[in-house]
Amino acid sequence: MSTSVAKLEKKKRRELVLRPSSGAINVSVSGLHGSTRRPNSVVASYSGRYFSVIGGSKMLEKSAIQAPRQAVRVFDEGNNDVTPRPLYQVAPGAVQAKASWFFVEEIPGGSASDQTSTTGGLIMPFFRSVLGSSRISTQSTIESMNEEIENTFSKQDMPINLPDVQKKREIVKEQVTEEMLKDIIDVYLSETSTISLLDIPNTFVSADADDAKAIIERNSQYAEVCRNRMGSHKYVDHSVQTVNGAAKNKQVQSDSITMVDAATAASSLKDMGVFGSSLNAESDLQLILSSEKFQHCFLVMERSILRNAFQPKLAAYRQLPVLEDPDSPVRPGTVEQRKEDIENSRSPALKCLWAFSCELSRGRSVSSMAWNKKNLDLLAVGYGELHSSNQKPGLVCCWSFKNLMWPERVIHCDSAVTSLDFSSNNPSQLAVGMHDGTIAVYNVQSQINISHVISSSKCPDKHLGPVWQLRWTQTELSLIEEQVESLSSVSADGRICKWFVFISDLNCTELMKLERVHNKKKKAGGNGTEKKSVLSELTPGLCFDFHPLDSGLYLVGTWEGLIHKCSCSNSQQFLQTYRKHFCPVNCIAWCPLSPELFLSCSSDWTIQLWKQDHCSPVLGFSSTQGAVYDIKWCPKWATVFGAIKEGQLEIWDLSANILDPVIVQPAAPGVTMKSLLFHTQSDCILVGDSAGHVTVYQLKNLRARESNQVNILEGLISSAASRQFCKTQPDKNRSIPTA
Amino acid sequence: MAEVEETLKRIQGQKGVQGIIIVNSEGIPIKTTLDNSSTVQYAGLIHQLVMKARSTIRDMDPQNDLTFLRVRSKKNEIMIAPDKDYFLIVIQNPSD
Repeated sequence: MSTSVAKLEKKKRRELVLRPSSGAINVSVSGLHGSTRRPNSVVASYSGRYFSVIGGSKMLEKSAIQAPRQAVRVFDEGNNDVTPRPLYQVAPGAVQAKASWFFVEEIPGGSASDQTSTTGGLIMPFFRSVLGSSRISTQSTIESMNEEIENTFSKQDMPINLPDVQKKREIVKEQVTEEMLKDIIDVYLSETSTISLLDIPNTFVSADADDAKAIIERNSQYAEVCRNRMGSHKYVDHSVQTVNGAAKNKQVQSDSITMVDAATAASSLKDMGVFGSSLNAESDLQLILSSEKFQHCFLVMERSILRNAFQPKLAAYRQLPVLEDPDSPVRPGTVEQRKEDIENSRSPALKCLWAFSCELSRGRSVSSMAWNKKNLDLLAVGYGELHSSNQKPGLVCCWSFKNLMWPERVIHCDSAVTSLDFSSNNPSQLAVGMHDGTIAVYNVQSQINISHVISSSKCPDKHLGPVWQLRWTQTELSLIEEQVESLSSVSADGRICKWFVFISDLNCTELMKLERVHNKKKKAGGNGTEKKSVLSELTPGLCFDFHPLDSGLYLVGTWEGLIHKCSCSNSQQFLQTYRKHFCPVNCIAWCPLSPELFLSCSSDWTIQLWKQDHCSPVLGFSSTQGAVYDIKWCPKWATVFGAIKEGQLEIWDLSANILDPVIVQPAAPGVTMKSLLFHTQSDCILVGDSAGHVTVYQLKNLRARESNQVNILEGLISSAASRQFCKTQPDKNRSIPTA
Repeated sequence: MAEVEETLKRIQGQKGVQGIIIVNSEGIPIKTTLDNSSTVQYAGLIHQLVMKARSTIRDMDPQNDLTFLRVRSKKNEIMIAPDKDYFLIVIQNPSD
């Protein structure tokens, strides 16, 4: 009945008549998807809430929310009016809201019959899906609605005024131009009316409310009724069937979880062959052996083995108590030997600990040795034949006390090595002077790329003769206030040069020219004119030493047997000349503990002890016949020094005996000793010989162990000096101060 | 490589060295100077020992690691240098 009323109303409004297969009015729902054309199904108007999603504001959409002014009429084949009736009657003054952001969802209708009575409730939330399914859903919804419209009455008592999206025209896509972008667009924000999604009226009322009384009364009435219900005839039991809502199936699909099976088998060692002669093991071996870590590992292992083997000797060297190995088997011979040792332990002696030698060095003569300034276990030894005619290429080996059998670093040089010194500022730099006059500085940090950092071979001023001695000295420049190191050298061409680095090459400045000094006695009678000598004016310098405290002062020993005291700042003149020797002076050494004294040794078989300001030596020492090649002070005891003669090593202790050496160690037969070095901290001496061995001896039982050695020495000197001035008096009681 | 071989020979020639074994990470001896049975025995037993030692060190302090192991016995000394790829084992009798 109400349906027909609605129908009549509808008829009034109809303007458009649609036949089947006629072009249909475009229906579009969502602003995002443009237009859809659909024949044969048109919705004239349908009620419901339509909220269209508008993605951006670029697209201007005219959401045609209009009252259904133009009605559409649909006729089927039989010319029956099958125009769907609207489900919703729009109030004439319906608000047309401009759509800015709405949510559109869909609740599709189920079967029509179920919704007969509840259409009103369902129509209200009529949503459209946002994305692409809008077309499809539109269709389905339209069809369902077609069914419903026949049976339903339009909703007229909609409490809320809803914007009505009727048939939408094709959404015109306006092209966004540049000017449009610059336009200021006014955006109106307005609040929608409040949408109530859920309303559960409360069942409790406050006792203070206005209608509380009425509610209480009603409650009591109801309670009364319930109590009377049992026997009353007013109430009848009746059963009712509730309506079950239609169930909807929904399916979800997720990504599949892939499973992978993995298995591994563990095998015990016994199952493997011992020597995996398969390629795997071979390549493993190669890989391992060539890795750097393995090399290091080897190094450590070798040192450990050697330390085990040489343990007592190394302990003696390091001045640790030598422990008896409790497990070593006691041999009958050793017991007696130990007893002997104890008996002979009174007199000073040298105990041979071990000898550094390897295949490379065998047969080469040791020419010089030097300690590393930083790592006191590192020793550089230079090998080279000094006096023979056939010059073999020289060799420098850096030995460490941790590995007694093989040198840590090996450097092959072009010509025989004559002198060595380690730098103090850069402890890994080693300066090597050679027989052909070249000086090269090597960096011994790593064995792999051991090459000379700089060499003087290209320097035009390089030495023309063998470089007999090298020394790194530190001079303090007052401007920089730090220790600047410079390398000085003395060579057989008679020049003393100071070297510096100039464009990655060594270059030198001359400190002094060693001029031949003729005998003054002869000259005094002369007429003053100097004859030009045929021989060169320069005499070879054989050794030099810098003053321990003042690095600008140094002594030079020459081939003529003269010792000159020179200064770095004065390159023209000698400060002083000391004459005593008549053969080449082989070595000079300042006393490290008493800076006024120095020793010199020469091929005239004597050793002289000088005081700095005395022109003649204070003491002279001579023992056997033989040129003295090297002399060194003991760094620990001021009265002890060592000297190398051709066939033996002599240790002198001035506090014990000034006539004879305290210890004499003969060289091995056929071997001459060449070089000597004291160890700075322990009482060991290193001696290099012509067979390439560097033997380490330990000094034993020297009485000179007290700390006031310097005083003793000075006392000796002063007494000796005073004796010199009183030469007429015979020395009867020579006082030998005891320690 | 030649250098390594040389070092190996040198170690072998040191006083009192009885044998050298190099074992790879799986426990298979890849180079040895001893006979077959001893090598296998040493490799197997020492592997376990080193694992135990290493785990001990690391349990005490997880940042620490084992670098060298020496086992001194009445008759000789076994020195082991472990690494994650290999073991180097040297047996020495220093009082020979």
